[in-house]
Amino acid sequence: MSGSTGETVFSVEGVRFAYPGQPPCLDGVSFEVRRGERLALVGANGSGKSTLLHLLDGLYFPSEGRVAYLGSPLTEDALESAPFGPRFRQEVGFLFQSSDAQLFCPTVEDELAFGPLLMGWTQDEVLRRIEDTLGLFEISRLRLRSPAGLSAGEKKRVALASLLVLAPSVLLLDEPTAGLDPRSQSLLLEILEALHARGLTLVTATHDLTLLPHLADRVRVLSEEHRLVADGEPEHVLADTDLLLAVNLIHAHSHRHGRLVHSHPHQHVVAHEHGHEHDE
Amino acid sequence: MTALPEWLRPGARPEGSLPRRPAAHRLLRRTLGAMGRSMALLVRGPDGPDAGALRAADPRAKLLAAAGLIVVATLLRGLLPLAACLVLALAMSVAAKVPGRRLLPVVVAVPLASAALMLPAALNVVSGGSPLLILWRPAGGSLGPWRLPEVVAVTGDGLLVAGRMVLRTTACAALALLLAATTRPQRLLGALRSLGVPQAFVMVLAMAERYLAVLLQSAQELHLARLSRSVAPIGVRREEAWAAAGVGAMFRRTRSLADAVTLAMVSRGFTGEVRLLRPARWRGRDWLLVAAAAAVAAALLILDRRSA
Repeated sequence: MSGSTGETVFSVEGVRFAYPGQPPCLDGVSFEVRRGERLALVGANGSGKSTLLHLLDGLYFPSEGRVAYLGSPLTEDALESAPFGPRFRQEVGFLFQSSDAQLFCPTVEDELAFGPLLMGWTQDEVLRRIEDTLGLFEISRLRLRSPAGLSAGEKKRVALASLLVLAPSVLLLDEPTAGLDPRSQSLLLEILEALHARGLTLVTATHDLTLLPHLADRVRVLSEEHRLVADGEPEHVLADTDLLLAVNLIHAHSHRHGRLVHSHPHQHVVAHEHGHEHDE
Repeated sequence: MTALPEWLRPGARPEGSLPRRPAAHRLLRRTLGAMGRSMALLVRGPDGPDAGALRAADPRAKLLAAAGLIVVATLLRGLLPLAACLVLALAMSVAAKVPGRRLLPVVVAVPLASAALMLPAALNVVSGGSPLLILWRPAGGSLGPWRLPEVVAVTGDGLLVAGRMVLRTTACAALALLLAATTRPQRLLGALRSLGVPQAFVMVLAMAERYLAVLLQSAQELHLARLSRSVAPIGVRREEAWAAAGVGAMFRRTRSLADAVTLAMVSRGFTGEVRLLRPARWRGRDWLLVAAAAAVAAALLILDRRSA
């Protein structure tokens, strides 16, 4: 397996961000992402995970603080200048939570060709990559289909394929398994595992703690106050019940054992099993 | 355990509160369904592979030919040249193997809809002329501030105006369908761009092509969600209020979707230019297509002049 190297891919320093007319959804966030790292950003709904990914992809810009990619500040001017802008777009892929928003071309083939054509690659190279990528995701039969008519799992595969065809070195994944059936979820996780083994840096925003053992070497936790409140390895974060309760990632769950009603912290997570030791 | 309100029991309701009749939304549901199906057909592009002369032709040639013939169809005044234009478009559609289910709306729905719109034009009160069929004899008099005519009747001149418009609309729709059914949308957009249509306009068309069907589906979902909670008729005013709120909700969704799509495109390197995987190549036969369309257009104009 490939691990992280010393190079800093993203550095985020004291970032604050607010949508127009709304309170801040990120408040003084600082962290770094290193080459080859698998980082998970976890937090409850509305904690600012998705917004943070948009900032890392240079789609939004902080109102305070700084985001840098390989040491260069991610600003509108930088992204609109060559060679930095096109290089950044080729190297950093963003898998949106909504596949419908991500898939805007008339056919799956056009979808995969979109990025490479914009990069100015030759038709032969684009076709070769499309062929290989369709095969990798087992979606060759969908090549001439409209993305609008695909199932959620197929759409997600096409969306990821449309990023991988550019051979990015960083993938930003926003709730990648949301709405997928178990088989689609398993295939997606296998592919992400293989990509990490190839050296890709993966940054995943999720509130699904079951994914952490599969998707992360390191976890950063966002609170409902939109601040980073913890940083650690998945097993340490998952073991910290007080933290998970405080950031609303697990909840006090009540259920019945015979005539006894019993409460304990709970999330449907493999790594967070609990026993039932109590007297009648 | 969560403490539930006392009234929250299966089937519990205040005495005598059951509506007398259920809400009826069949018309709206069917209309939305039909719009969704029509839109899907419209934006789908050609059925099957790009085989056959017309399907394989350069989209720029097809676009020029279709646009030229549509402009000519709007200039024709005679019924015969208009009918010839319509027959030509339908014959070419059949030759290009456009499926019957796509042609049907053009040969049935478009004439019916335009005939319904043009019905007033067939009357003497709109188009003038001598009466052919008298519908009503108000015998003068007045209705409030308006003076009523002696008779309200269908006239020959009125029928000519209405018939001309019905034929013209149907011919234009048939030509547009022929183009849409033989050219993939992305190629059509590429052709528009290479013929000098501004990039912003082409992008708006591209977004519309991709997302009209998605938005119609959203409208259907919105309606179904409301339907699932409608237990009784709510009256016209509240229906209107609901419709206005529905339009507002759709607008918000449209905006949010448009924002998300733009970000997704920018994220993959989009800077405003459409590029095609297989750019069209202009060949000798494409000149032939444009020349043939020009010849047909000229013949139709001459026929129109002679029949005037």
